[in-house]
Amino acid sequence: MASVYIPVQNSEEEVRVALDQLPRDASDILDILKAEQAPLDLWLIIAREYFKQGKLEQFRQILEEGSSPEIDEYYADVRYERIAILNALGAYYSYLGKIETKQREKEEHFILATQFYNKASRIDIHEPSTWVGKGQLLLAKGEVDQAFNAFKIVLDGDRDNVPSLLGQACVEFNRGQYSDSLELYKRALQVNPNCPAAVRLGIGLCRYKMGQFEKAWQAFQRVLQLDPENVEALVALAILDLHTNAAAGIRKGMEKMQRAFELYPYCAMALNYLANHFFYTGQHFLVEQLTETALAVTNHGPTKSHSYYNLARSYHSKGDYDKAGVYYMASVKEISKPQEFIFPYYGLGQVQLKMGDLKSSLSNFEKVLEIYPDNCETLKALGHIYVQLGQTGKALEFMRKATKIDPNDAQAFLDLGELLISSDAVAAQDCLKTARNLLKKGGQEVPIDVLNNLGVLHFERGEFELAQQTFREALGDGIWVAFIDGKEKAPSVDDDASIFQYKDMQIFHQLEKEGHLVELPWNKVTTLFNLARLLEQLHNTETASIFYRLILFKYPDYVDAYLRLAGLAKARNNLQLSIELVNDALKVNNKSPNALLMLGDLELKNDDWVKAKETFRAASEATEGKDSYATLSLGNWNYFAAIRNEKRNPKLEATHLEKSKELYTKVLAQHSANLYAANGAGVVFAEKGHFDVSKDIFTQVQEAASGNIFVQMPDVWINLAHVYFAQGNFPLAVKMYQNCLRKFFNNTDSQILLYIARTHYEAEQWQDCKKTLMRAIHLAPSNYTFRFDAGVVMQKFSASTLQKPKKSVDEVRSTVAELENAVRLFRQLSAASSLHFHGFDEKKIDTHVEYCSHLLEAARVHLTAAEHEEQKVRQKQELARQMAIAEEARRKAEEQRKFQLERRMQEDELKRVRQQEEHFERIKEQWKSSTSGSKRRPSDMDDEDGGHSEKRRRKGGKKRKKDKYSRSRYETEEAEAEQMDYQEAPEIEDANTNYQESPGHMNEQDDEENAQNPLEAAFGIEDSDVEDEVAPAGRRRRAWSESDDDDEQQERQPESSPRRENSADVQSDGGEGGDKPNGDFDDED
Amino acid sequence: MKLAGLKSIDDAHDESVWAITWVPATEARPALLLTGSLDETVRLWQPDELVNRGKMTGHCLGVASVAAHPLGFIAASASLDSFVRIFDVDSNTTIASFEAPPSEVWQLRFNPQGTMLAAAGGGSASVKVWDTSTWNLVATLSIPRPEGTKPADKSSSKKFVLSVAWSPDGRRIACGSMDGTVSVFDTDRGKFLHHLEGHCMPVRSLVFSPVEPRLLFTGSDDQHVHMYDAEGKTQVGSMSGHNGWVLSVDASTDGAALATGSSDRTVKLWDIGMKAAVQTMSNHNDQVWGVAFRPGGMPGRLASVSDDKSISLYDYS
Repeated sequence: MASVYIPVQNSEEEVRVALDQLPRDASDILDILKAEQAPLDLWLIIAREYFKQGKLEQFRQILEEGSSPEIDEYYADVRYERIAILNALGAYYSYLGKIETKQREKEEHFILATQFYNKASRIDIHEPSTWVGKGQLLLAKGEVDQAFNAFKIVLDGDRDNVPSLLGQACVEFNRGQYSDSLELYKRALQVNPNCPAAVRLGIGLCRYKMGQFEKAWQAFQRVLQLDPENVEALVALAILDLHTNAAAGIRKGMEKMQRAFELYPYCAMALNYLANHFFYTGQHFLVEQLTETALAVTNHGPTKSHSYYNLARSYHSKGDYDKAGVYYMASVKEISKPQEFIFPYYGLGQVQLKMGDLKSSLSNFEKVLEIYPDNCETLKALGHIYVQLGQTGKALEFMRKATKIDPNDAQAFLDLGELLISSDAVAAQDCLKTARNLLKKGGQEVPIDVLNNLGVLHFERGEFELAQQTFREALGDGIWVAFIDGKEKAPSVDDDASIFQYKDMQIFHQLEKEGHLVELPWNKVTTLFNLARLLEQLHNTETASIFYRLILFKYPDYVDAYLRLAGLAKARNNLQLSIELVNDALKVNNKSPNALLMLGDLELKNDDWVKAKETFRAASEATEGKDSYATLSLGNWNYFAAIRNEKRNPKLEATHLEKSKELYTKVLAQHSANLYAANGAGVVFAEKGHFDVSKDIFTQVQEAASGNIFVQMPDVWINLAHVYFAQGNFPLAVKMYQNCLRKFFNNTDSQILLYIARTHYEAEQWQDCKKTLMRAIHLAPSNYTFRFDAGVVMQKFSASTLQKPKKSVDEVRSTVAELENAVRLFRQLSAASSLHFHGFDEKKIDTHVEYCSHLLEAARVHLTAAEHEEQKVRQKQELARQMAIAEEARRKAEEQRKFQLERRMQEDELKRVRQQEEHFERIKEQWKSSTSGSKRRPSDMDDEDGGHSEKRRRKGGKKRKKDKYSRSRYETEEAEAEQMDYQEAPEIEDANTNYQESPGHMNEQDDEENAQNPLEAAFGIEDSDVEDEVAPAGRRRRAWSESDDDDEQQERQPESSPRRENSADVQSDGGEGGDKPNGDFDDED
Repeated sequence: MKLAGLKSIDDAHDESVWAITWVPATEARPALLLTGSLDETVRLWQPDELVNRGKMTGHCLGVASVAAHPLGFIAASASLDSFVRIFDVDSNTTIASFEAPPSEVWQLRFNPQGTMLAAAGGGSASVKVWDTSTWNLVATLSIPRPEGTKPADKSSSKKFVLSVAWSPDGRRIACGSMDGTVSVFDTDRGKFLHHLEGHCMPVRSLVFSPVEPRLLFTGSDDQHVHMYDAEGKTQVGSMSGHNGWVLSVDASTDGAALATGSSDRTVKLWDIGMKAAVQTMSNHNDQVWGVAFRPGGMPGRLASVSDDKSISLYDYS
């Protein structure tokens, strides 16, 4: 055993001290050393021995004693040993400071270390070992540049000083100059090939950092050969193995890690990697233990951060978001720059997203994105956050980027597609399609909701075929296939039951009995519903109704299906069934606003005014007044209430109108883009006479309504036409009505035909008016009002023809025919009225009959006169014609002669041409003149057509008269527009009519000397008649015409006809006929 | 089964064409088409080239219905002024002209035996039947008023009769009305039998299957075509597909196909066995008011008329 000999002072003796038997109490040794004034190197040796034995206290005691001022004094000239002692102490405290985790003590240690080194320097400023020590202290303190200087001083003196070479290598390594560092390590190794394994470790680390994994691996391997227990090398090798990412590599790596752990359980790096491993294997308990140990043993920022991250991850995966958040946060705090270690930011972002802290989450993900700008997951996460923050634009941006970066990420396409659905259906469709294809390519099953959404998008774009395919794909196999393919049909039903066909479930019981599986998984209900909607759109209502029933058969609480069925029944005018179905829906949920609203509509259709109002109110309350449809319905109700009363109560009407306006405005305030509310407001304005305002509104609504297949608003067209009509623009009004009729009603709406007829009537286009009425009769044969109107038109036409100062026999003849028809019509009506109730006053019809008969008599007189006249005219014409013929013959003969002459001349000339070519020019000219001669003919013929031009002139005159009429109308309207309440209009028009008629009256008398009294009387009757007809102002309202839909938009069609009462003239009070008994409203209100 | 367009005549009339029927072939000539229009004329056309064979005036107001006697010599037309005119097809001489007071006349149909002419009596809620030899009114088949309603309220306008059809054996008459009910009568006894329910909107056209005497097809404004067992009071089927009122139905002679004309401007061909539409023709650009299969042998012909003033002829195979 090694021992030291302490020479005894003033003798030759020595005290032998066995180094492995050093006394426990260092004081004993110290006493000896002091007493014998032993050389300082002995002090150092003993202290080092204590250190090696781990007896740090003793080590420190000896060295501190050895560096005490007394010693300094005593050994003043023994410089090197004193420095060595000081340096040893400095190194000791540096080490203490390095491993100390508590900041304050760490600093204290460093201060002490600095003091010792400084003291050493004071003894000899050039001692290299002091500089090396200082350099290492500075390194430990992290002051890399100063450390560099310290080492440099040493190296400048001795360029092969191994410790400072190593120190310098360390400095370069920390600066990230790995190749320089590597060079220094290499030099150190060359200088001292036997230097500790740690040097090779440095080389390995440099190689590793430089990406030369193979060489790094060799270096670490060499370290292990030299020092099989070198933990760092083991860990490094393990990491290298782990990074191979192959299963075998990982296993080998983990084995090494474990050995490292067994060797030295406090290597934070190894602990982290182990924790990482156990995280993946799911042993969360181990993860926590390991990382906690790692955290306890290290204060190296990145390593700690890693440990925290592992811990956080563990909690995160366990769903403990609170703890995970805390640890992610701790991890993030340890990181100076996000570039170094970004994962915790991502984790933190995720946890914050989960916890709803969107803002912080956003900033974390953004940090991740800064470093990995192409990371799809991060982009998607950011997209989601922006969606939740309501910034769809940004969300879209990120999602788009994500899909661009990874065009194979089906999830990203799905997300993007879903985002786009509300804004850009086309793009959404593309995205979903891509997603579907990707999923299919990847062999994954496409989720049903994706297909469903895709189908809906096709549906909305009107691509019904594709939509159907998609829905079918979504639905897969099931009982429905048989129905789609038409293999199964609804069985025949007993006639008594057929009226309730939409409630019939027999078919499914039947199928079950036949052994078919009638199943409908819950997740397919929506898609089946959508498919049924699609079938409805394709007019395959039968199959659609079966699907709705299938849904109800399996899920009797599916309110929407009841409502659709009710809608189908309503479209077929089966109100009773429809109401029953809605009531079924209400049984499921008696507050369902949709069902209530539908019920209200049905009640309105059934003329249950008071009930309807209550239902609408209930619906409005059920939605707390937020549902615009309920409000709209109430607004409409008020509007109808205002105009429905035959005996108008101006006060009541004003209140109702005001109320409806208020309700429409309320809806508009909630949804400024609500077409139906705007339409309603326009109607109210029109009703009050503000046609310009209402026209603007209607025009805008009309523009907005076109271009969406789900919005069908014929009403606004009609309203616009009404406004044109009110403003006297008849041609435009007719065009508008016709377009509407064609576009929305397949030309089948007789009411609009009536509007058109009314417009023609106003424009005095009797024949057009009559034709239109004929069409209306043909469409609605049971509406006798049209027949009455037709009679009135024919009467009017005849009267106006007879009033004309000049009329042809044909005109008079057709007048007579018309009158005969009119009389027949009125007589028929009169006869029919004994059979039916259609609201005509029999007396009035009789008056019409009487008047027409009188007119007929007068017309017959006219006819004979006209025929006589015509005879004369014809004779004259005949004469003229004969003369003309004679003239023509003469002219023709003349021409013939001329022609022949010319031909002869031409022949002559031709001859001459042949003879003398120089005359060619002149011949050409003669040819020209010959052509101009033949052009004259047509103009001759014009003269013969004198009759035509006369007619034309007459037509022109008529037109002028009309112009005057409309102008006068305009003026009146303009003048009175301000105070003119709407219903005054007919009166004004009346005045016009009367004014127009009176000159006719005069004419008649002038013309007809023998005008009989009854005729005059008849005129009188007619005038009074007109007033009569106007007064009750058959204000008919068309009930809600539209097919109901639970697509609420479609329902929202305030049906209105502000100008309805104007049609009174044509329609007369017969208007009531087609309508409901009117007592209702008065009584109940 | 398939339809193939053969010939179309635009502006066949000056106004909307509302009615069409085939006049069966006689020894002297092939089968002809007879059309009636709002322009107050009835016109004759010779297929397949649709050559105009004559224009018959004499009606005031639009011609709403035309019908041809099974022998092909005489035909009837009715207009909105409620006059029925019976005329010789080839000479256009009026044989008889009458009306059916107090009400108007809508659809006209001769019975398959040619002994009777039935007319849908509109507001009178009845079908009128005339003897074709004397042209006397022989029967008025009234739809009974629904029970419970007071006779005083004149609400029978809901039973306004629009359309009429004879069963192939001539023993049944079915008529369709405004409220969607179909009424079946026994012609021998002149008795009302029962209602067929299912439609709630006007039934403008109905026809019996030529091969199954009990099978009745009805077309209604509710866009559906229903199939009824007229005797058994059961609804055998319901077919949807039109996007508008079904204005006219006709069954092919072989009883396998049904043609419909609709206000959605299309003509549809239905396979009765499959109860499904097999073809849609859309060469008209306005309501199709009438469709008619040519009675008798092959080749099959279908003609349609429309509000767009045109006539179209198709080959049916």
